[in-house]
Amino acid sequence: MTQNSSQTRTFSSSTTTPDSVSASKVHVRQHVEGLIEHLNGVLLGKEQQIKLALACLFAGGHLLIEDLPGMGKTLLSHALAKVLGLSYNRIQFTSDVLPSDVMGATIFDKSSGQFRFVEGPLFAQVVLADEINRATPKSQSALLEAMEERQVTSDGVSRKLPSPFFVIATQNPSTQAGTFALPESQLDRFLMRIALGYPEPAAERELLKHGDRRALIDRISAVIGLNALTQIQRAVNNVGVSDLLVDYVQRLTAFTRQSSAFAFGLSPRGGLALVQSAKAWALIHDRGHVVPEDVQAILPAVVQHRLRGAADFSGQGGAALAQKLLANVDVVA
Amino acid sequence: MAIQGSPLAQVLAYQIPRNSLALLMVAQLVVLAPLVIHVSPWIVGVYLVCGLWRWQVYVGRWNYPVGAVKSLLVIAAVVGLFFSGFQSYSLEAGTSLLVLAFALKLLEMKKYRDAYLVIYLSYFLIAIAFLFDQSLLLTCYAMFSLIVVTAAMVGMNQRQAKVRPAASLRLAAILIGQAIPLTLVLFLLFPRAAPLWSIPLPSAATTGISDRLTPGDIANLIQSDDIAFRVMFEGNVPPQRELYWRGLVYSQFADGTWTMNKNAKPQVSLGRQGRGTAYDVFLEPTQSKWLFTLDTPVEYGRRQQLLSDFRLVNADPVLSVLRYRIVSDATKILDPSIDDALRASETVLPAKDNPRLRAYATEIYERSGRNASLMANVLLTEIRKSPFHYTLKPPQLSPINSIDEFWFDQQKGFCTHYAGAFVFALRAVGIPARVVGGYQGGEINPVTGHFVVRQFDAHAWAEVWLEGSGWTRYDPTNAVAPARVERGLRAALSNSDRTSLSFLTVARLDDQSLFGSTLKFIDSLEHLWNLSVVGYDVAAQADLLTKLLGRVTPVRVGLALFVGGGISVLLVVGVLFFRRRHAARNAAEQVFQNFCAQLARQGYDRAIHETPAEYISRLGTIAQINPKPLILQLHAHLYDPEFESNRKALSELRKEFRKLRFKLAFSTTVQAS
Repeated sequence: MTQNSSQTRTFSSSTTTPDSVSASKVHVRQHVEGLIEHLNGVLLGKEQQIKLALACLFAGGHLLIEDLPGMGKTLLSHALAKVLGLSYNRIQFTSDVLPSDVMGATIFDKSSGQFRFVEGPLFAQVVLADEINRATPKSQSALLEAMEERQVTSDGVSRKLPSPFFVIATQNPSTQAGTFALPESQLDRFLMRIALGYPEPAAERELLKHGDRRALIDRISAVIGLNALTQIQRAVNNVGVSDLLVDYVQRLTAFTRQSSAFAFGLSPRGGLALVQSAKAWALIHDRGHVVPEDVQAILPAVVQHRLRGAADFSGQGGAALAQKLLANVDVVA
Repeated sequence: MAIQGSPLAQVLAYQIPRNSLALLMVAQLVVLAPLVIHVSPWIVGVYLVCGLWRWQVYVGRWNYPVGAVKSLLVIAAVVGLFFSGFQSYSLEAGTSLLVLAFALKLLEMKKYRDAYLVIYLSYFLIAIAFLFDQSLLLTCYAMFSLIVVTAAMVGMNQRQAKVRPAASLRLAAILIGQAIPLTLVLFLLFPRAAPLWSIPLPSAATTGISDRLTPGDIANLIQSDDIAFRVMFEGNVPPQRELYWRGLVYSQFADGTWTMNKNAKPQVSLGRQGRGTAYDVFLEPTQSKWLFTLDTPVEYGRRQQLLSDFRLVNADPVLSVLRYRIVSDATKILDPSIDDALRASETVLPAKDNPRLRAYATEIYERSGRNASLMANVLLTEIRKSPFHYTLKPPQLSPINSIDEFWFDQQKGFCTHYAGAFVFALRAVGIPARVVGGYQGGEINPVTGHFVVRQFDAHAWAEVWLEGSGWTRYDPTNAVAPARVERGLRAALSNSDRTSLSFLTVARLDDQSLFGSTLKFIDSLEHLWNLSVVGYDVAAQADLLTKLLGRVTPVRVGLALFVGGGISVLLVVGVLFFRRRHAARNAAEQVFQNFCAQLARQGYDRAIHETPAEYISRLGTIAQINPKPLILQLHAHLYDPEFESNRKALSELRKEFRKLRFKLAFSTTVQAS
C-alpha cells in the first residue's frame, strides 16, 4: 500500500491486495477455468451459454434454461450439478406432480409409532427441475416458494433447505402443448433465463459421430467442492463496480421504465440482478472490476424474461427488447 | 349534411384533433375574460352560445352550421353591434367587433388553419386588453393567458396518442420564461416610435371629480376607494393639513351647480424663487386633461401648461397612468392685482336666487366694515358656531335656492355645501371668490414611502381674492369638521356615515387591521409597477439610453439592441446547454468525453451503444495500432473503483489519446491520397 506500489501497479487488475488473497485469486481462476473446460467437454460448442450458466450460479441465482426438447437442456443442468460437486436431486415435472411430491410429506412410522417427515427431492443443494412448466401452478409455486425463502413449510413446521441452494429449471417454450406458463412474479425469481439454440455444424457433426453424450454424465466427476464454490461466490461479491458503471445500469433500467416500447420497466430487483450477474461475468473473465461489456454480455439473459413489449401479450419478444435496450442506451452518458 | 364533395380521408387529415380543441377553447375563454367588462353583455352571450354549439360538435351531437346560417349570424351580429350604442370608431366598438368575430370563428373552427388563426387572434386579444388597463394584475393575468394560448399551440403539434395538457402547459411556461430576457431588452431599448395610426380612446366612464360640481357630487365619490393618484415627494413631506391637491376651479354658478370656466387662458410660468416642494405624481387615467398639484406649480413638464386660474392641464387627456414632476411654491402670491374683467367673472352670480343668504351676506359685510378678509373670517366663525353638521348623507335640497335651504334650514352638509355657500355669500357682496375642487390629504404607504390619494379624499374648498395677498385659500369644512383636514376623512366620519361606506373603503381607512396593511402592501407593489414599467416612457428611455450610450445615435441604439438581444438569447441558450451537459463523474471521464467530442468532429462518432473498449479497438484497427494497453488504462480509470487516479496517470491517458488522434488524422490523409 505504499506510494511505490501504487505507482508501479499494472492496469489489468489490482495488485495491492495481500498475498493470501492473491493466492486465493489464483485458485479461483484455476477453478473457473477447470469448470469451463469440463463443461465444454460435455456440451459441445456452447461456451457462451456455459459461461452464462456458471455466472448465474456464481452470483447465487437460480437458472432457467428454456429451449425446444432435445437441445441438451437436461444434459447441461446435470453436468452443472455434477461438476460443482454438490448434492443434487432431479424432479421431473408432469401435470400430476403434487406439492408433497416436491417438498416431502409427513408419514406415520409404524415402527416408532410416530409421525415422521420424509424429505422430498427439494432437500438437496442443487435441484434439477425438469420441464417445470409442465407442472400445474400449485406444484410450481411449491418449488418457487422454496427458491425465494430457502425453506420449506409443511404441516406448520418450517424446515431449512441446505445451503447453497440452487434450482436449475428447464422448460419448453410456452407455445408447446401441455405447458403452464410461469407468471412474471415467478419468472422474476430466476436470475437468468438462457436458451441453448441449435449446435454449430462442427459440434453437431462431432455429436453425430460419437453418439449420445448422456453416457458422459456418469463419468463426470466433481471439479470443485463446496469450499471452492464459497470462495468463488465471495470473490464475486468483491468485484468492483464504479459509479460510472452504476450510472450505466441506472440508464438501462430508466430506459425500460420510460420508453413506450416496454409494457413495464425493470424492477429494482432486476437492476440488482444485472449488477450481480455482471460481477460474476467479470470474475469469469478474470477482471477485478465490472466493465460495460460485462453488463452487455449478461443483459439479454437477465432481462429477457423480466420484460415484455408494450404490444406483446405473449411475452415472447424478450430477445428483441433486450437488443433494443442495448442499442438505445448510451454506455457513457 | 355530412362531409360533402371531398374524400373523407383528406378532410380528416387537416382536422383539428379533438384533444387539442379542448385546450384551444379553454385558451379562448382565458383570453376573453379581461375584455368582458369592456364589450356589450350580449356579445358574451353570443360567445357562450357559439361555444356550446362547438362543444356539441366536439362531442358529436350537432353538426357545423351551414353557410347560410353562418352568413345570417354575421349579419345579425354586425347589426346588433350597430345598435349597441357604442360611439362609432371607439375602442369599445372595435374590440366588440373583434370579440364577435372571434366568437363566430368557433363555428367554423374545423381545420388546423382555423385553429392557428384563432391562436394568433388570441395573442392579439391579449395585447388589446392592455389598451384598457395596464395594471400589474392584468399583466400577471396576461402572462398566464400567454402560457395557456401557447400551450394550446403546443397541443396542436403533439402526437395525438399522447396529449397531456399538463405537459403542454409546462412546456409553454418554459417557452414563455425563455422569452423573458429578450422581452426585457426590447422593452428597455427598442425605440418607441409614435404610433402610425391613432388608437381610439376607451370611453368608459371613470370615477373622479368632474368639471361640474353639485352639492351631492363629492359625497358619491367618497364611496369609491379607487386610487386617484400616487405621489412621491423628493424632500420632506408637507403636513397633512397643507396637502390641498388643486385640480379644478369652478367660477360659474347657476341652478345650484358650480361649473368650470372653460376659457381660461394660458399663463406664463411663474418662475421659481424659493426652494419649493418637488414631487412626482402618478395620475391614474381620468380621460381628462386636468392635473392635480399642490399650491402653486412653478416648475412642470413641457407637455403641461398653467392656466390663468393657476390650474395645471396636460396637453392630452390622461388615458393611462401619467407621471409628471412638479415643483410647487406655496409662498407665491397669485394675482397680486386683479383687473375688472376678472373681477367681474369671479363675482358673477345669477340674477336673483337664494335671497336670504344674499341679505345675510350684505348684513355681515356691513358689520365687518366692508373688509373682505374680515368678512370671510366672520363667515367661518358663523359656521363653527351655528349647529352646522358635517355628514356624508345630507338631506335632499331643492334645485332653486338650494344654498338658502342648506344655510338656514338643514345646516347639514358636506365639503361642497360649505364651500359653495361660502363662495356664494362672498360673491353676493362683490368679493371675488371661487370654489376649488381636488383632493385633500392622502395617506403614506410605509412600504415604499409614497403617498396614496384615493377618490374618497376628494374635497372642495374656496379661494378668496384679498387685496395684497391675492387668491387665498379658505376651507369652510375646516371650520365645521377640523378633523377632516387635520387627520383625514376617517376621523371626520360619524358611525352612521361609516356604515354607508363599502367594506373595502372602511378597510382602507383602517390602518390597524391586518387586511388594511395587506392592502397597503399590494398598493406598494402597484406603485413600483407604475414607477418602473408603466412610467417608463419615451423620456425615461431617452434617459436610460443616454446613461448607457453617452450619445444617442441610431447606430448606437441599434448596436445596443443587437448586443443586448444577443446576450439575452445567449443566456437562455447557455443555461440550456449547461443543463443538458452531463456532469462527468471524474476527471478521466471528462478526458474521455473530450476525446470522443474531438473525434466526432474528425468523423469518428462513438455509437451510443459502443462501449469505450469497443470504440477504442475500432479506432485502433483504423489507426493500425494495438488498442489493448490503452483500453486497459482507460478501464482502470473509468471502471475500477479501487484504482487511485493521479495527475500523472491522467496526463499519460491524455497523451495516449493524443497519439491515437494523431494516428487517425494521419491514416485518413493516407486513405484520401
